[in-house]
Amino acid sequence: MGTLLMQMGLETGEAPESWLFKEPEKVEQAHRDYAEAGSDIIQTNTFGATPAKLAAAGLEGQCEILNARAMELARSASGGKTLVAGNIGPTGKLFPPMGTATEDELFTEFRTQAEALASGGADLLNIETMFDLREAICAVRAANATGLVVFTSMTFDKLKRGHFTMVGDRIGSSLTALRNAGAQVVGLNCSVTPATMLSMIQEARECFDGSIIAQPNAGDPQQSPDGIEYDVDPVSFAAYLLDMVEAGADVVGGCCGSTPDFIRETRKALDNRG
Amino acid sequence: MSDQLGLLNDMRLSILDGDAEVSRQLAERALADGLEPLTAIEEGFVPGIHEVGVLWEEGEYFLPELVTAAEALQSAMAVFQPFLGDKVSVTESGRAVIGTVAGDIHDIGMTLVGTMLAAHGFTILDIGADAPLETFIEKAREVDADLVCASALLTTTMTRQRDLASMLAKSGIRAKLMVGGAPVSAEWANEIGAHGYADNAVHAVNVAKELIRG
Repeated sequence: MGTLLMQMGLETGEAPESWLFKEPEKVEQAHRDYAEAGSDIIQTNTFGATPAKLAAAGLEGQCEILNARAMELARSASGGKTLVAGNIGPTGKLFPPMGTATEDELFTEFRTQAEALASGGADLLNIETMFDLREAICAVRAANATGLVVFTSMTFDKLKRGHFTMVGDRIGSSLTALRNAGAQVVGLNCSVTPATMLSMIQEARECFDGSIIAQPNAGDPQQSPDGIEYDVDPVSFAAYLLDMVEAGADVVGGCCGSTPDFIRETRKALDNRG
Repeated sequence: MSDQLGLLNDMRLSILDGDAEVSRQLAERALADGLEPLTAIEEGFVPGIHEVGVLWEEGEYFLPELVTAAEALQSAMAVFQPFLGDKVSVTESGRAVIGTVAGDIHDIGMTLVGTMLAAHGFTILDIGADAPLETFIEKAREVDADLVCASALLTTTMTRQRDLASMLAKSGIRAKLMVGGAPVSAEWANEIGAHGYADNAVHAVNVAKELIRG
């Protein structure tokens, strides 16, 4: 979503959420492009739309109205042909010792956004790019309180000793904890290439028996004459996602750099698999 | 092991454990026992923080351990501070403006560096990701910053570090520029006229301190 909005002219320093009122046609067009590319689920332009993150972007006090608007645009683009997920990202607040956040504070942040998305008619809530299991659990609990189905992905790095979040959470125990907190589908997104994520999904499947979601980036970002490009092409990306399905992923999608072309190829690959 | 070696080893362990209460007590004991503060720092506490950096690079320690270790070091240093005078500069801290350059929305690495600098006593002004270059300059002027730290995670946005270096040079601001980010290297930092480069958050603290020392 962010990649596409940047291609459409989202300026430096502009929060993607600011386009919900400033450029609603473009946001809706981005949703429509993903729906037409063959997505089963499209998601709202609300990754940074918790009250704290919005305030940091100069959009203080606009959580309800922006999340409602985002749902309206996504549902209109979907026209009932796809499910619409309300998208939720990290608050940017850190727990001690790194920061001063408390679980109550973060739960309230996520509950405010989750309720706004649910009231707007979300079919499910998709929590993404969490790098601290404690924050992710706050988000799951808040999302769960809406009664909607909850998807949750975390982002892991490949280190010498294995795959970890920056605070040291491991894949298997994180997925189990997220499921126990009430998420129906749990998994991984962002940060790594499809090749690395494939090995992470294999690790996840070995130690977790619930439903898994995988949303890799379209490779590593590279400079090109036309701007930023990711170094995995749509056809290879789709092949990696098929491998992830083979490895045990139940839901697949794309994160940074995965424009509608990537989703189109993935749709094709999934439909043609034997 | 002699008493002194045992004490120095306990100091190292207090940093590895990230126990600010124990490190403070050990620093007080060192003073009471007549151990030179510089010896305690250089042979007790500092080896601990170096080991923490190694453990982090090995994937044994993570962000919370880094921060608690740095806080334990700070707590010991606070005890020694009145006795150090101008003999040692490891406690020097300063003001740093930190952000990810315009066009780049990656903020995890920057947050990591900001957190580590703060834990080592720096006052951090975090201007966030996708920060306009003018904001780096304005904020640095506003707080009379010692350091400007600019992160870039994309090959496309790292060129903005070059623009920032020349803007800083023209602005007449005294702050030094430290750069970092996945595509950034020491050669790049040198080429664009940045004062320092760090490839991880532990390294960034050392570089920042060196830059401030001048």
